[in-house]
This record gives sequence, structure tokens and C-alpha cells, in this order.
Amino acid sequence: MNIVFSATRTAIDSGAVIVLAGSAELLMERTGMLNLGLEGFVAIGAVSAVIAASSTSSVWLCLLAAMAGGALMGSIYAMATVVCRANQVLCGLALVLFGTGMANHLGAGFSGKPMSARFVAWEVPGLSKLGGFGKALFVHDPLVFAAYTVVPLLVSFLLYRTRHGLNLRAVGENPAAADAMGVNVMGMRFLYALIGGAIAGAGGAALSMSFTPGWAPGLVAGSGWIALAVVIFAAWRPGWLVLGALLFGLMRALSFIGQEQGWSLPAPVLNFLPYVVTLLLIAAPAVFKRFRRATTPPAALATPYFREQR
Amino acid sequence: MSTSSARWRLERRLDVSAARSVGTRTAGVVVAVLGALAVFQLTGRSAPDIAGESIKGTFGNWSNFQETLIILTPILICAVAVALGFRIRVWNIGVEGQFLMGGWAATGVGLKVGGPQWLQLLLMALAGMAAGALWVLVPALLKAYFDVNEVITTLLLTFVAQQILVWFSTDIWKDRVAAVTNASERVNAKLPGFFGSTTLNWGFLVPVVLVIVMFVVFRSSRWGYEVEMTGGNPRAAEFAGIPVKRRIVGVMMLSGAVAGLGGMIQLTGAVHRLSVSFSNQYGFFGFIVAALAGASALALLLVGLFIAFLLRSGIAAQTRGLSVALMFAVCGMILLIVGVAEIATRYRLSRAAPEPMAPVPQEAKMSNTHFASAQEPA
Repeated sequence: MNIVFSATRTAIDSGAVIVLAGSAELLMERTGMLNLGLEGFVAIGAVSAVIAASSTSSVWLCLLAAMAGGALMGSIYAMATVVCRANQVLCGLALVLFGTGMANHLGAGFSGKPMSARFVAWEVPGLSKLGGFGKALFVHDPLVFAAYTVVPLLVSFLLYRTRHGLNLRAVGENPAAADAMGVNVMGMRFLYALIGGAIAGAGGAALSMSFTPGWAPGLVAGSGWIALAVVIFAAWRPGWLVLGALLFGLMRALSFIGQEQGWSLPAPVLNFLPYVVTLLLIAAPAVFKRFRRATTPPAALATPYFREQR
Repeated sequence: MSTSSARWRLERRLDVSAARSVGTRTAGVVVAVLGALAVFQLTGRSAPDIAGESIKGTFGNWSNFQETLIILTPILICAVAVALGFRIRVWNIGVEGQFLMGGWAATGVGLKVGGPQWLQLLLMALAGMAAGALWVLVPALLKAYFDVNEVITTLLLTFVAQQILVWFSTDIWKDRVAAVTNASERVNAKLPGFFGSTTLNWGFLVPVVLVIVMFVVFRSSRWGYEVEMTGGNPRAAEFAGIPVKRRIVGVMMLSGAVAGLGGMIQLTGAVHRLSVSFSNQYGFFGFIVAALAGASALALLLVGLFIAFLLRSGIAAQTRGLSVALMFAVCGMILLIVGVAEIATRYRLSRAAPEPMAPVPQEAKMSNTHFASAQEPA
């Protein structure tokens, strides 16, 4: 039973970065921006928090630094793809290289050093006392709680319950129509590149301030790419995103626990299982009609908008 | 259309001359490099010193230049693999994974199969190519028959390949005798040295040959024409009777095979052991080279040399504060700036009074660019 509880706990903790980065990607894709650079965003967020921690011990200032770093990446992305209308796939890949390279360069001096600002676990009063189950579900640090509750709920509310969210989705589905309605298409995209960047940066902080505090080369290890895959798995819906992130967290948790318990399944196999599962999740709805949900991406995804070519 | 506020507007050029395209790309690279140098200067390091050290460390003498060519070889092979995909408008981002699996299969053959050296090398090359091709088979089938975006599927398999490499080099094939960590036993079959050189081997000519073969095939074979037509307009190709789906699968597997061969060359020419650090992201750099070079063979070679120069500088000018990671960042910036410059070539700012626009074709005209397609996932 203990293994089940500790697996659940680790799954939730390791899935936090995926929910955050995934929410960022979901918002950006809903406005029509395919941001393949997510991995770089997360890396910059993680290293920004580590750098900030060298001059402050306030966790909130460090988190803010991570979000600022991510937003900076978002602004670069938006300058290139929204203002200049460059190819989104190419610019995304460029930002993966830029972000991970820059983060590794800047983080080299901090590698392996203890992190002065880290989130500490917080117990939900009452619920955390419910034995192993309570410990697994209700003892996490504030960033993890926020990742699973506040962020997806806010995103969901914004998208489906506000006029602004309706406009946002319109920009992603049919920018010309949104423009005709008086929505500022470029402004909307720029704004969500910044907001998405900040949330992805917070995802980086979930790694360097919470899950494995401090900087290490290979800290991000594909979290951004997984988040990208989970957004597709979730069919661009916030609720499914949380589920997908948990699934990934669980696979990762199993590989950690497998190492601890000395399972005969080698650790690398457990490590690559999440990627194989994502591949299956992406392939299944396409191959088998039975699994086909409403998995259509935003219609204007990855297409730059030119008012003159309406 | 508003006439009062937006006087400046983007207007599409109907034709982009090759000279203009080369010019803007070059300008993009120059801007990025100057920008990086300016940052060095502003952060208190001497930009001229860094540039001097970089050039000396890469082209300064024959032994340094050999090191540069050693880095160039895998990058250029991967670039050919990516460029092949571009011909049919497929983005094979997983070249890195196919490269790794090629190296993995070649190591397996090299460790387990005896025989004369030439036979071993031949079998290793075949195994590497087969492994690379098979590694991209699933994404290729998904792309061709189920319209699943290949960017993410090929990439996901790269992470799987990385873990397989970790598994085999630190566990199954681990060298438990020699004082190496996280590496397999040494593979004895190796490519012959280039005129007796101990660093450089004949392997560096492989990508050059591949580039030439590729461009001959696309210039003068029926298959090459069919592939380019499929890339340009799949529906028209289908109407013309071209087996579009089979062409997509074929090109992607060929791309994977080339990348797998790259892994074999890297093993037998440079590293001789499978290890966790078998590839220094050569697949991704191959992608950059192919994206920057467009459709020209000469550009592929030159851009490859330039990227190899940047990476080698990261090692050679380490004492001056450069690092390989920083060179990654510089490459990313270059790619971004060139991506923007690419648009600049296809549009122009005009201030003329509103005139009837030239009709914009739904499918962008692809005369000299291969990465203008808009991609939707899944």
C-alpha cells in the first residue's frame, strides 16, 4: 500500500510542470499559436528562478523571476511569429535551442549547488490527516496545488465563461471573423504569448524550486515536449490536460520507484514508457475511429494572420 | 480594409529571386553573429579576442581543421536526412533519434559479429541504415495514412532512442574492464584514416557524396520529380497518378536510413564506443543546417561548415568564456532571425495607395523555400 501512496505523491509532484507548461501551450494554441519552443521556455523559467535565488531567499520573488523569464521568451516568440509572421514551427524550434542553450550556459555556475529558495510542503488542514491517502493527495507545496487547481480552473473559466475567452477562441478559429468583430487579433496573440510564457516559466520553477530543487544540466529533460504532447492528448481542453499530466506523472513515478525497489524492469525502459504512451495516445484517435473524440485543433493554428489577405 | 490608420502594409511579392533569398539569409546570420559578439563585448569580454580564438581553433591549422571536419560529418549527414524530408514537405525532427539508433545497431553488429574488417564495416552500415529507417517507420505510416503530424511523433521517438542508448551503454553492453564510465565496449572496426591521419577518416566524404547523389536524383530522376511534385501539391500529385502515400513513407524511411548511416559513421569514425554522450544533438543541428540552406547543395555544405565552426568554437574558445551550450543559444538565435528574414523576402512594406492586391494562392508558392508550410498537429 505504501508504494501506491508514494507513487501517487510523486506522480502529482512530477506532473505539476506538465500541467503548467501544458496550460501555457493550451492558451497559446487556442489563440492560433503553435509554440514548439515550450521546452526552451521551461528551461529559461527554471534557470531564472535559480539565478534569482542567489540574491534573494523569497520563494515568491524567485517564482516571479521564473515567470518573467518565461514571459521574455514569449515576447521573443510573439515578435517573430505574430508581428513579423515568421513560420511558427521554425521559430519554436529556434527557441528550444536558444532557451535550453542559454539556460545551460547561465546555469552552469549553479549546477549541483543547493537551492536557497524552495517551496515547502503545505498540509491541507483536516484532509491531510486521512492516513496514507491524505498524505499522498493533500500534502504538497503551494505551487503544485496551484498547478492542479487554480490554473486549470482559471483557464477553463476564462475560455468558456467569459466574453474575453470567446474572443480568444475566435482568434484561434477564425481570425478574420474575429477581426471583423473588432477583436484585436495581433494584440490578443501577443498578450497570450506573454501570459503563456509566464505560466510556462512557472512550470520551470516547479522543477527548480520544488520537484528537484536547484539547477542541473538536463533538469528539464523533455518536460516541455511532453506538455506539448499532452495538450494534443487533451484535445485542447483544460480538464483533460490535468488527467494527461497525471498519467505522465504516474509513469515517471513508476520509474523512480522501480529504481528504488530494484524492479527487474530497467530504469531506462520505465523512462521511455511515457513517450511511447504519448505516441499511442496521439496515434489511437487517428487510427481507430472508436477513440475519435472531438480532437480537432483550433482551425487557425500555426497560421499567421494578414489582415490584407482576408 | 482600413485606409486611415494602416498606411504601411505588407504586400506579397509574386516572385522571390534566388539572390534575394540568399542575401537575406546571409544577412540574418551576420546580424545574429554580430549580436552575439556585441553581447560578449558588453559583458566585459573582448569580442575580437573571442572571434580570433574561434577562427584559430577551427581553421587555424590542419589539426584544428580536422577536428572541425569531424564535427561537420555527422551534422551534414543529418542535414541531408532532413533536407530529403523537406523535398516532400515532411519535417523529420526525429533525425537525432534515427542517428542514435543507427549508432546503436552498428555497435551491436560491431560487438557481436566477427569477420574481416571490410565485411564488418559493410554489415554495420547496413544495420545502421536499417535501424534508422525502421525507427521512422511508425511516424511515416501515421503521417501518410492517418495524417498524424510527424513533428511530434518523430520527436517522441528520439527520447525513446536516447533512453535505449542509456540502457545499452550503461548496462547491457557496458565495458566492465576499461576505465570508461557509461560506455559500451570498444568497437574495433574503424574507418581508414584520411591519408594516414589519426584524427580524420574517409567518413567525412560520405556526406559530400550524399549531397551530390541527392541533388542528381532530384534533378534528373522520375522518382525525384514525383517526390517534389507530392511536396508541392499532394492533391495534384494524386490526380497525376503518383502514389502519394507510398512516396511519403519511402522518403521518410530513406531519410531515416541516411541518419542511421550517420550514426554508423560517427561510431566507426569518431567515438568507437556507444555512450550516453554519443551525439551532441547532431540531429538537431542537421535540422538547422537544412532549414538555413534551403534547396541548394552548395549552401548545404557551406552552412554545415559554418555550424560546425560555431560548435567547434564553443570548445576551442572555452577559456575565453564560450561554451557549447552558449553556441546552442547562438544557433537558436540565428535560426530565429533567419526565420524572420525569410518572411522579409516574401513580403515587402509598401506605402502606395491601396491597389487591388495580387491574388494570393492558398498553397504558398514554394520555388526556393521549403519551410513555409503551416502545420497543424494531429
